[in-house]
Amino acid sequence: MIRTSTQLFLLAVLSLCLVPALAPAADTVCLQCHGGLDGRLGDPVDAWRTSVHAENDISCHDCHGGDPTDMAMAMSPERGFIGVPEYTEVPDFCGRCHVGVAKAYKAGAHGQAIDRGGAQCVVCHSNHAIQPASLDMINEKDCTRCHSYERAALIRLALVETDTMIKNVEQDLDKLHRLGFAVDDMQGTLFNQRNIFHRTFHGVDVERVRAETGDVQAALGKIKDKIDTIKTTLGQRKLWGSVVIGLIVLAGIVFLLIRKSYEEDEHS
Amino acid sequence: MQPVKWLVEFVDVRLGIKEIYQKELKGYLLPRKVNVWYTLGAVLLTLFTIQIITGILLLMFYVPDAEKAYASVEAIMNDVPFGWLFRMLHVVGANVIVIALLMHMLSVLFMNSYKGRREFTWLTGFILFNLAMGLCLTGYLLPWSQLSFWATTVATDAAGAIPLVGDQVVEFLRGGPTVDNQTLGRFFALHVVGMPLVLLGLIGLHLFCVKRRGISTPPFGEDYREPQEMPFFEHEKHPGGIPFFPNYFVKDAAVIAFFMAFMLAIIFYAPGLFFPETAFQRADPFVTPPHIKPEWYFLWAYQTLKIFPSKIIGLGVQVAFMTFLALLPFIDRSRERRPAKRPLFVTCYVLGILLFVAISIWGHYS
Repeated sequence: MIRTSTQLFLLAVLSLCLVPALAPAADTVCLQCHGGLDGRLGDPVDAWRTSVHAENDISCHDCHGGDPTDMAMAMSPERGFIGVPEYTEVPDFCGRCHVGVAKAYKAGAHGQAIDRGGAQCVVCHSNHAIQPASLDMINEKDCTRCHSYERAALIRLALVETDTMIKNVEQDLDKLHRLGFAVDDMQGTLFNQRNIFHRTFHGVDVERVRAETGDVQAALGKIKDKIDTIKTTLGQRKLWGSVVIGLIVLAGIVFLLIRKSYEEDEHS
Repeated sequence: MQPVKWLVEFVDVRLGIKEIYQKELKGYLLPRKVNVWYTLGAVLLTLFTIQIITGILLLMFYVPDAEKAYASVEAIMNDVPFGWLFRMLHVVGANVIVIALLMHMLSVLFMNSYKGRREFTWLTGFILFNLAMGLCLTGYLLPWSQLSFWATTVATDAAGAIPLVGDQVVEFLRGGPTVDNQTLGRFFALHVVGMPLVLLGLIGLHLFCVKRRGISTPPFGEDYREPQEMPFFEHEKHPGGIPFFPNYFVKDAAVIAFFMAFMLAIIFYAPGLFFPETAFQRADPFVTPPHIKPEWYFLWAYQTLKIFPSKIIGLGVQVAFMTFLALLPFIDRSRERRPAKRPLFVTCYVLGILLFVAISIWGHYS
């Protein structure tokens, strides 16, 4: 037995002493090459890794084109590489994916003033460290870099309620999804409404924002009703579950008490 | 005559059930000091029964096809009346079975109950434990979620470390070079027919070994004496012991009730405990989810493969450890069973458990 126990002990010590060998994560050739560079050519990689694009697997080639699998041809125009856009080209560059937002932006005050240095996408959202759009982006510090804050403040005020509603509905749907509820349809509607909402305020028109957020809120209200119905069902399940658990625990206690009485008989 | 009494008499004169009751239940005596750990066998029998019942119910609605599997599970959770309850009982039940199996094996190990010519009982129990793990692994793929797909890809990939035939073994397990519809088909067949049949046979054999050799006496107390071993087969009797029915049966029933309450508490108060986010995403072979991890009971094996410089060493250590555990009754031949008289064994036992927990936690956070 001593031999057996010693073997087990040695195995335990050996396992604790060994160093982990971790495999590196697979990256595109863009990240492999630029990730090893310093300054202007390397910084975008670190910035991108913190972005909402990285979170959603939108990588360098999705915006800049090129071939992410071929080191030699990665930046070849033949493989669709388009490089860095000029200042005025940025709305069209981002607008290839964010179609509705780009359209609303171009029709609004910012888009109309782009040739005169009007703000475009990266001025507010940054270029590589792109963060999820939030109301925090409309703030006095950033807006007053170009103009006064009054109008922006009014737009922000009109957006707060809808923005909070979107966040709450999103959180609720995520929770229900984690419990196995089929919420794809509701998530699809939310995605659509959030896009409409984002499109709305990119036009930077206070009255239009007020009118259109009303429609968005009505659609969100319908999702909220469905969520509330599911929550009621969950509450009922929990209630009945508690009753059943209580009864089972009670049965267990009764069995133990019966066992106790048998024990007394066995010892007497 | 009362209807029940009449029915008992009717069956008794034909099958002699009163004699069976007297001999196998009321007359089946257990050691006087039998403790609560001895109830785990009954708990496991109950849990396996629940798995079979809920499994059959799920089978009525599940579609074993890569195109339809995920949608069918989603329909079970959302559209089938009480489908969510069947599935939750099946999934949570599988995890509770692993907990109960570990507790059962560890208590047998601590009390050295595998000694006293109980090698077959231990061996059948050990194979049952591994079979239950196999059922968990094959069942894991069936919902065809991102978690299912990638956890199975990682798990089957580990077999590739076997020298010379590794790639062939991986291909055999998957039914092709990658996890796909063929893998789902063979895992489904194994999960619902192959493995349960072997499991039922092994449970029968395990119970036969337990019953035939007799229940071991708990090795505690000053009056504990190891029974003498005769040079021929002998059933270990416990004269003056406790009748199994109803005296000890009520204790079995109490612990079963507490396990059921524990399982239902998870289902109703922490339903997401065993479901990471990827469990509710349809399998996508082109998108590898970040930080994919196996179930908690496979984390030790997962991390062991990572901590050694090569997979083959990690796999070799796992095989060596499991073989050692399986053959423990043949290796450990001393007759002493009292833990108090075996300090080195107890030290290794505690260190072994701590190591298992530490490696599992490491695996979870690595």
